[in-house]
Amino acid sequence: MRNIRKTIWILGLFTFTMAIALTSSFLKNRVQVLERRLAAINANIQKDIADIHVLNAEWSHHNTPERLRKLAYEQLSLENAKPEQIINYSALQFNYEDENAAQTVTSNKKNLTTLVKAEVKKN
Amino acid sequence: MSFNVNFSKRNSEKFYLPGQEIKISRGMLAAKNYTTESDNVLTCRLRTKISILFFALLYCALCIRVSYVCLGQGISLDTAIADQTDVDVIRFKNPVKRADIMDRNGEIIATSLPTVNLYANTKKVRHAKDVAEKLNYIFPDISYDRFYSLLSRKGAFIYLKRNLSPAQQSQVNALGIPGLEFENCEKRIYPHKNLFSHVLGNTDVDNQGISGVEKYMNDRLTSSTKPLYLSVDLGIQNTIRDELIAGVKQFNATGAAAILMDVSNGQIVALSSVPDYDPNENIQVAERAMFNFATKGIYEAGSVFKVFNTALSLESGKVKTTDRFDTSHPVFVGRLRVTDPHGSHGSLTPEDILVESSNIGSTLEILRVGKKFQRKFLQSINMDKALSEVELPEIAKPQFLNEKRWGDVSMATISYGYGISSSPLHIITAFSSVINGGMYHQPTLLHNVKHKGHRVVSEKTSESMRTLLRAVVTRGTGRRANVDGYQVIGKTGTADKLENGRYNHSKSISTFVSAFPESNPRYALIVVMDDPKASKETFGYTTAGWNAVPITKKIITAVAPQLNIRVDFDLDKQKSIVNAAYKR
Repeated sequence: MRNIRKTIWILGLFTFTMAIALTSSFLKNRVQVLERRLAAINANIQKDIADIHVLNAEWSHHNTPERLRKLAYEQLSLENAKPEQIINYSALQFNYEDENAAQTVTSNKKNLTTLVKAEVKKN
Repeated sequence: MSFNVNFSKRNSEKFYLPGQEIKISRGMLAAKNYTTESDNVLTCRLRTKISILFFALLYCALCIRVSYVCLGQGISLDTAIADQTDVDVIRFKNPVKRADIMDRNGEIIATSLPTVNLYANTKKVRHAKDVAEKLNYIFPDISYDRFYSLLSRKGAFIYLKRNLSPAQQSQVNALGIPGLEFENCEKRIYPHKNLFSHVLGNTDVDNQGISGVEKYMNDRLTSSTKPLYLSVDLGIQNTIRDELIAGVKQFNATGAAAILMDVSNGQIVALSSVPDYDPNENIQVAERAMFNFATKGIYEAGSVFKVFNTALSLESGKVKTTDRFDTSHPVFVGRLRVTDPHGSHGSLTPEDILVESSNIGSTLEILRVGKKFQRKFLQSINMDKALSEVELPEIAKPQFLNEKRWGDVSMATISYGYGISSSPLHIITAFSSVINGGMYHQPTLLHNVKHKGHRVVSEKTSESMRTLLRAVVTRGTGRRANVDGYQVIGKTGTADKLENGRYNHSKSISTFVSAFPESNPRYALIVVMDDPKASKETFGYTTAGWNAVPITKKIITAVAPQLNIRVDFDLDKQKSIVNAAYKR
């Protein structure tokens, strides 16, 4: 009886040790895979950072004020703003603001009334 | 406690372990029935049990931990990594170690690119002639002889070529020559070439700053990769530089400089000095092109100093804006005879003195105030020391007279701009303090930095000065800078150039210092022309009103809308502009 107990005890320990060994192996393997993935990701990030530096420099080089001015003039016929082109809103001839404001208020009122009616019907 | 120890009778046939003949008395261990003969087995069993218990506990602990980590969801590996600091997770090295420099709007004005250097370990290189020939084919800019001489040296690290392009690196790799190796490095790039050459400066082959902001802020730029934001504006800088270059060409000047400053905090929005250079090119640059006239060039500013003279006179309380000074005759101060170059003007108010730029009037003003107050005021606007707070190593110390030499004659000449030499940066900073409400702010090139200012004139004096300086532009020497809608204020100054200790009357430096708008000045601008020539367009004149002033007008017209300065047209004028636009 004592021997059987001993055997069970030893087998249990053996099984337990094997389980730990397998688990450790699994864990190690998983860590190694993750390490490789991390290394690859880090290498990619490093390369991306280098590329971003190059792209930023290129972007800045292509956005020199001289080039933008030339393109704006050639493609859009735009020139530097002149002081007389900046005027107050009130200097405009038509009373655009009031008409718009009146229209907005009216349309908002109508929308609100419709929404309230719909809510009342639902309830 | 004492032990009763009995020595057992020694049995010669029995093997005793060392010390086993020492027998502990039963009296001491009565409960255990302990004898040396039966102890062996008991001890072994006990030790085995303890060992088993120890290992069992160890395995249990390991088992629980492993189960917890691997099988359960107690700890997710991703979470564990994510919880660590950045240093642990990010194991890559940033290929670029020197921080970028940005303008105030976040545009890159200096950056670094990762590159490689090619070096040779000549101990490993065989057939140097063949290798030199192949390298010369890839790098035609370096001669075969140069490569051969480098490869013939004895050394483990000899640079052959710096900053290779990726294509060149690939070609060298493809050669497969042992002994040719690469070193990771970075190259400083200035995408806007000459535009910021005198602001940014340059770096050496080891990427260490050797001039400009690159040198002054070298520790900051190398200690962190976070971008450094400067107060300069790319678009404004470009406009001002273009106008300066056009002005230099038009007036056949030796050079020119301009600074645009935010008067509310001393931030420099643009700083340009022409001629300049392309910091990307590793070539020998002319000494004049390397010279930053805007911060390092000191000269006698001439009539621009009348601004400070009038300000200090009003501030002293001994001169009022309504006072009149008789300028119809020359004034004698000691042996000095002060005259006006444009003839006599009669009785002038301080406003007229500025408008007519009268030397006699300025001298009469300062004679009322005295040299003590004059010296103290000029010291308060830092005319006596280098502006070391600005983030540039290329700064000049003004030539400021010591107290013993500050006699009556010096006092008179200084009142109209001779006797003290200062840089354009000194003048624009001092001018800003006079017209911004009276606060002197140290100039800076860093964005969002504001040095604590100190008061130099009262708000009332500052307001009076703005009114007086507006008159200079509406009816004085600065008429050609009157930009409609921006209420420009300013003062001209033309001084003979000092060469080898003597004034050269055929050469001059003309200055126009201005600010806009008069009601609430936000920006101050100084334009300096070095030795402009007379032409038909200028009717033979070389004074500031004919060169620096029209350049200023062009600059303000172009940059004021970019700087969101509101145009001060009255409503009727605006309506007429709109009508004209619709009719067009």
